[in-house]
Amino acid sequence: MGSLLERASVSKTAFYSLVRKDDILPRSICSIASALDVSPLAFLEEDVEAIKARRLIKEADAIARAHPGLDRENVRHTLLMLSMEPIERLRRGLIRGRKIDIH
Amino acid sequence: MAEKSIFTEKEIAFLRELIRQGVPFMIVGLAAAALQGAFVVTQDIDLWFADLGDPRIARALKKVGGSYIPPSHLSPPLFAGKSVELFDIVTAMHGLDEFGSEMKRAVDIPLGSVTVKAMPIERIIASKESTGRQKDLLALPVLKDAAATIKAKTKSKRRTRRKRSKS
Repeated sequence: MGSLLERASVSKTAFYSLVRKDDILPRSICSIASALDVSPLAFLEEDVEAIKARRLIKEADAIARAHPGLDRENVRHTLLMLSMEPIERLRRGLIRGRKIDIH
Repeated sequence: MAEKSIFTEKEIAFLRELIRQGVPFMIVGLAAAALQGAFVVTQDIDLWFADLGDPRIARALKKVGGSYIPPSHLSPPLFAGKSVELFDIVTAMHGLDEFGSEMKRAVDIPLGSVTVKAMPIERIIASKESTGRQKDLLALPVLKDAAATIKAKTKSKRRTRRKRSKS
Protein backbone atom coordinates (compact mmCIF):
# COMPACT_ATOMS: atom_id res chain seq x y z
CA MET A 1 0.00 0.00 0.00
CA GLY A 2 2.85 2.35 0.91
CA SER A 3 4.50 2.05 -2.50
CA LEU A 4 1.16 2.43 -4.30
CA LEU A 5 0.47 5.68 -2.43
CA GLU A 6 3.97 6.89 -3.20
CA ARG A 7 3.53 6.19 -6.91
CA ALA A 8 0.19 7.99 -6.85
CA SER A 9 1.68 10.88 -4.81
CA VAL A 10 -1.10 10.50 -2.24
CA SER A 11 -0.32 10.94 1.46
CA LYS A 12 -1.45 8.35 4.00
CA THR A 13 -3.52 11.05 5.72
CA ALA A 14 -5.38 11.83 2.50
CA PHE A 15 -5.93 8.13 1.82
CA TYR A 16 -7.33 7.30 5.26
CA SER A 17 -9.57 10.36 5.29
CA LEU A 18 -10.99 9.07 1.98
CA VAL A 19 -11.46 5.58 3.41
CA ARG A 20 -13.41 7.00 6.38
CA LYS A 21 -15.94 8.77 4.13
CA ASP A 22 -19.33 7.14 3.50
CA ASP A 23 -19.37 8.39 -0.06
CA ILE A 24 -16.44 9.74 -2.01
CA LEU A 25 -18.54 11.29 -4.76
CA PRO A 26 -19.91 14.82 -4.42
CA ARG A 27 -23.58 14.76 -3.39
CA SER A 28 -24.54 16.84 -6.46
CA ILE A 29 -23.12 14.16 -8.80
CA CYS A 30 -25.17 11.48 -7.05
CA SER A 31 -28.31 13.66 -7.30
CA ILE A 32 -27.87 14.33 -11.04
CA ALA A 33 -27.19 10.63 -11.65
CA SER A 34 -30.29 9.72 -9.72
CA ALA A 35 -32.39 12.22 -11.72
CA LEU A 36 -31.05 10.76 -14.95
CA ASP A 37 -31.56 7.25 -13.63
CA VAL A 38 -27.95 6.29 -14.32
CA SER A 39 -25.11 5.17 -12.13
CA PRO A 40 -22.92 8.03 -10.83
CA LEU A 41 -20.00 6.01 -12.19
CA ALA A 42 -21.18 6.95 -15.70
CA PHE A 43 -19.73 10.42 -15.07
CA LEU A 44 -16.41 8.97 -14.03
CA GLU A 45 -15.81 6.63 -16.93
CA GLU A 46 -12.58 7.71 -18.49
CA ASP A 47 -9.72 6.04 -20.19
CA VAL A 48 -6.98 5.27 -17.66
CA GLU A 49 -4.40 6.25 -20.26
CA ALA A 50 -6.08 9.64 -20.68
CA ILE A 51 -5.94 10.20 -16.93
CA LYS A 52 -2.25 9.28 -16.90
CA ALA A 53 -1.55 11.58 -19.86
CA ARG A 54 -3.35 14.48 -18.21
CA ARG A 55 -1.43 13.96 -14.97
CA LEU A 56 1.81 13.85 -16.95
CA ILE A 57 0.99 17.10 -18.77
CA LYS A 58 0.15 18.76 -15.45
CA GLU A 59 3.45 17.63 -13.95
CA ALA A 60 5.38 18.74 -17.05
CA ASP A 61 3.69 22.15 -16.88
CA ALA A 62 4.65 22.52 -13.23
CA ILE A 63 8.31 21.68 -13.93
CA ALA A 64 8.44 23.91 -17.01
CA ARG A 65 6.93 26.79 -14.99
CA ALA A 66 9.52 26.33 -12.26
CA HIS A 67 12.37 26.14 -14.82
CA PRO A 68 11.59 28.70 -17.54
CA GLY A 69 14.51 27.68 -19.79
CA LEU A 70 13.19 24.15 -20.33
CA ASP A 71 11.29 23.00 -23.39
CA ARG A 72 7.88 21.77 -22.23
CA GLU A 73 7.82 18.89 -24.75
CA ASN A 74 11.26 17.69 -23.68
CA VAL A 75 10.06 17.74 -20.08
CA ARG A 76 6.90 15.80 -20.95
CA HIS A 77 8.82 13.21 -22.94
CA THR A 78 11.35 12.76 -20.13
CA LEU A 79 8.55 12.27 -17.60
CA LEU A 80 6.98 9.72 -19.92
CA MET A 81 10.30 7.87 -20.13
CA LEU A 82 10.68 8.01 -16.35
CA SER A 83 7.32 6.28 -15.98
CA MET A 84 8.79 3.22 -17.76
CA GLU A 85 11.31 0.62 -16.67
CA PRO A 86 14.90 1.40 -17.83
CA ILE A 87 14.89 -1.55 -20.27
CA GLU A 88 11.75 -0.15 -21.93
CA ARG A 89 13.36 3.32 -22.20
CA LEU A 90 16.38 1.81 -23.91
CA ARG A 91 14.26 -0.25 -26.30
CA ARG A 92 12.32 2.87 -27.33
CA GLY A 93 15.54 4.78 -28.01
CA LEU A 94 16.95 1.90 -30.04
CA ILE A 95 13.78 1.35 -32.05
CA ARG A 96 13.55 5.01 -33.00
CA GLY A 97 17.29 5.13 -33.68
CA ARG A 98 17.13 2.16 -36.02
CA LYS A 99 14.07 3.44 -37.86
CA ILE A 100 15.57 6.84 -38.62
CA ASP A 101 19.24 6.86 -39.41
CA ILE A 102 20.55 10.12 -38.02
CA HIS A 103 24.22 9.20 -38.31
CA MET B 1 4.89 -0.28 -25.27
CA ALA B 2 8.05 -0.63 -27.32
CA GLU B 3 8.65 -3.78 -29.35
CA LYS B 4 10.42 -6.46 -27.33
CA SER B 5 12.31 -7.83 -30.31
CA ILE B 6 15.11 -5.35 -29.75
CA PHE B 7 17.46 -5.63 -26.80
CA THR B 8 16.36 -9.05 -25.67
CA GLU B 9 17.69 -11.75 -23.35
CA LYS B 10 20.65 -12.39 -25.69
CA GLU B 11 22.06 -8.90 -25.15
CA ILE B 12 21.30 -9.08 -21.43
CA ALA B 13 23.13 -12.41 -21.31
CA PHE B 14 26.30 -10.73 -22.58
CA LEU B 15 26.07 -7.96 -19.96
CA ARG B 16 25.41 -10.58 -17.28
CA GLU B 17 28.45 -12.54 -18.40
CA LEU B 18 30.68 -9.43 -18.33
CA ILE B 19 29.50 -8.74 -14.78
CA ARG B 20 29.95 -12.38 -13.75
CA GLN B 21 33.50 -12.34 -15.10
CA GLY B 22 34.17 -9.12 -13.13
CA VAL B 23 34.96 -6.99 -16.19
CA PRO B 24 34.98 -3.27 -15.29
CA PHE B 25 32.76 -1.52 -17.85
CA MET B 26 29.93 0.95 -18.09
CA ILE B 27 27.27 1.96 -20.59
CA VAL B 28 27.97 5.43 -21.95
CA GLY B 29 26.56 7.78 -24.61
CA LEU B 30 22.94 8.13 -25.62
CA ALA B 31 22.02 4.59 -24.56
CA ALA B 32 23.07 5.50 -21.00
CA ALA B 33 21.08 8.73 -21.28
CA ALA B 34 18.00 6.83 -22.50
CA LEU B 35 18.31 4.37 -19.60
CA GLN B 36 18.15 7.32 -17.21
CA GLY B 37 15.07 8.80 -18.87
CA ALA B 38 16.25 11.05 -21.70
CA PHE B 39 14.03 10.95 -24.79
CA VAL B 40 16.80 10.29 -27.28
CA VAL B 41 17.42 8.00 -30.21
CA THR B 42 20.41 5.73 -30.58
CA GLN B 43 21.47 2.95 -32.90
CA ASP B 44 23.90 1.20 -30.60
CA ILE B 45 24.79 0.68 -26.99
CA ASP B 46 28.21 2.10 -26.28
CA LEU B 47 30.30 0.17 -23.78
CA TRP B 48 33.39 1.72 -22.21
CA PHE B 49 35.86 -0.80 -20.81
CA ALA B 50 38.67 -0.14 -18.34
CA ASP B 51 40.96 -2.37 -20.39
CA LEU B 52 40.04 -3.70 -23.78
CA GLY B 53 42.83 -6.26 -23.49
CA ASP B 54 41.16 -7.83 -20.45
CA PRO B 55 40.97 -11.60 -21.25
CA ARG B 56 37.69 -11.81 -19.32
CA ILE B 57 35.99 -9.87 -22.13
CA ALA B 58 36.91 -12.63 -24.57
CA ARG B 59 35.62 -15.23 -22.11
CA ALA B 60 32.28 -13.38 -21.79
CA LEU B 61 32.05 -13.12 -25.58
CA LYS B 62 32.73 -16.82 -26.00
CA LYS B 63 29.92 -17.68 -23.57
CA VAL B 64 27.37 -15.86 -25.73
CA GLY B 65 28.79 -16.83 -29.11
CA GLY B 66 30.33 -13.47 -29.93
CA SER B 67 33.83 -12.53 -30.95
CA TYR B 68 36.17 -9.56 -30.83
CA ILE B 69 37.56 -7.93 -33.97
CA PRO B 70 40.70 -5.96 -33.03
CA PRO B 71 41.16 -2.44 -34.44
CA SER B 72 42.88 -1.98 -37.76
CA HIS B 73 43.96 1.17 -39.54
CA LEU B 74 40.59 1.04 -41.34
CA SER B 75 38.19 0.29 -38.51
CA PRO B 76 37.80 0.64 -34.74
CA PRO B 77 37.58 -2.44 -32.48
CA LEU B 78 34.29 -4.31 -32.92
CA PHE B 79 32.19 -7.06 -31.46
CA ALA B 80 30.81 -9.58 -33.94
CA GLY B 81 27.93 -12.01 -33.52
CA LYS B 82 24.15 -11.88 -33.14
CA SER B 83 24.21 -11.51 -29.36
CA VAL B 84 26.60 -8.56 -29.34
CA GLU B 85 25.93 -6.68 -32.57
CA LEU B 86 24.01 -3.94 -30.73
CA PHE B 87 27.09 -3.08 -28.69
CA ASP B 88 29.77 -0.63 -29.75
CA ILE B 89 33.15 -0.39 -28.12
CA VAL B 90 34.24 2.98 -26.80
CA THR B 91 37.96 3.37 -26.30
CA ALA B 92 37.99 6.93 -24.93
CA MET B 93 35.49 9.54 -23.74
CA HIS B 94 36.19 13.12 -24.78
CA GLY B 95 36.57 15.75 -22.09
CA LEU B 96 36.18 13.37 -19.15
CA ASP B 97 38.46 11.88 -16.50
CA GLU B 98 40.07 8.48 -16.85
CA PHE B 99 37.90 5.36 -16.60
CA GLY B 100 38.50 4.74 -12.86
CA SER B 101 37.33 8.21 -11.80
CA GLU B 102 34.29 8.10 -14.07
CA MET B 103 33.42 4.61 -12.82
CA LYS B 104 33.18 6.00 -9.26
CA ARG B 105 30.48 8.38 -10.49
CA ALA B 106 28.59 5.71 -12.46
CA VAL B 107 24.97 5.02 -11.56
CA ASP B 108 23.41 1.58 -11.10
CA ILE B 109 20.64 0.79 -13.56
CA PRO B 110 18.47 -2.33 -13.27
CA LEU B 111 18.25 -3.82 -16.73
CA GLY B 112 16.08 -6.89 -16.85
CA SER B 113 17.73 -9.44 -14.59
CA VAL B 114 21.04 -7.58 -14.22
CA THR B 115 22.16 -4.27 -12.76
CA VAL B 116 24.64 -2.39 -14.92
CA LYS B 117 26.79 0.67 -14.41
CA ALA B 118 25.95 3.66 -16.59
CA MET B 119 27.55 7.06 -16.98
CA PRO B 120 25.44 9.76 -15.28
CA ILE B 121 23.61 12.05 -17.70
CA GLU B 122 25.55 15.12 -16.47
CA ARG B 123 28.84 13.47 -17.50
CA ILE B 124 27.40 12.48 -20.90
CA ILE B 125 26.52 16.16 -21.41
CA ALA B 126 30.04 17.22 -20.38
CA SER B 127 31.55 14.80 -22.88
CA LYS B 128 29.27 15.84 -25.74
CA GLU B 129 30.00 19.51 -25.03
CA SER B 130 33.71 18.88 -25.27
CA THR B 131 33.67 17.02 -28.60
CA GLY B 132 32.16 19.94 -30.50
CA ARG B 133 30.86 17.51 -33.16
CA GLN B 134 27.61 18.63 -34.76
CA LYS B 135 25.69 15.43 -33.95
CA ASP B 136 26.74 15.70 -30.30
CA LEU B 137 25.82 19.37 -30.09
CA LEU B 138 22.39 18.61 -31.59
CA ALA B 139 21.65 16.18 -28.77
CA LEU B 140 22.56 18.67 -26.05
CA PRO B 141 19.25 20.59 -25.64
CA VAL B 142 17.28 17.35 -25.11
CA LEU B 143 19.93 15.95 -22.75
CA LYS B 144 20.06 19.15 -20.70
CA ASP B 145 16.27 19.36 -20.43
CA ALA B 146 16.15 15.69 -19.46
CA ALA B 147 18.81 16.18 -16.77
CA ALA B 148 16.89 19.14 -15.31
CA THR B 149 13.60 17.22 -15.41
CA ILE B 150 15.11 14.16 -13.71
CA LYS B 151 16.56 16.43 -11.01
CA ALA B 152 13.21 18.19 -10.49
CA LYS B 153 11.35 14.88 -10.36
CA THR B 154 13.83 13.41 -7.86
CA LYS B 155 13.50 16.52 -5.67
CA SER B 156 9.71 16.37 -5.71
CA LYS B 157 9.79 12.62 -4.89
CA ARG B 158 12.06 13.34 -1.92
CA ARG B 159 9.73 16.13 -0.75
CA THR B 160 6.71 13.79 -0.97
CA ARG B 161 8.57 11.09 0.94
CA ARG B 162 9.58 13.56 3.68
CA LYS B 163 5.99 14.84 3.96
CA ARG B 164 4.69 11.29 4.13
CA SER B 165 7.12 10.24 6.84
CA LYS B 166 6.00 13.25 8.91
CA SER B 167 2.27 12.50 8.52
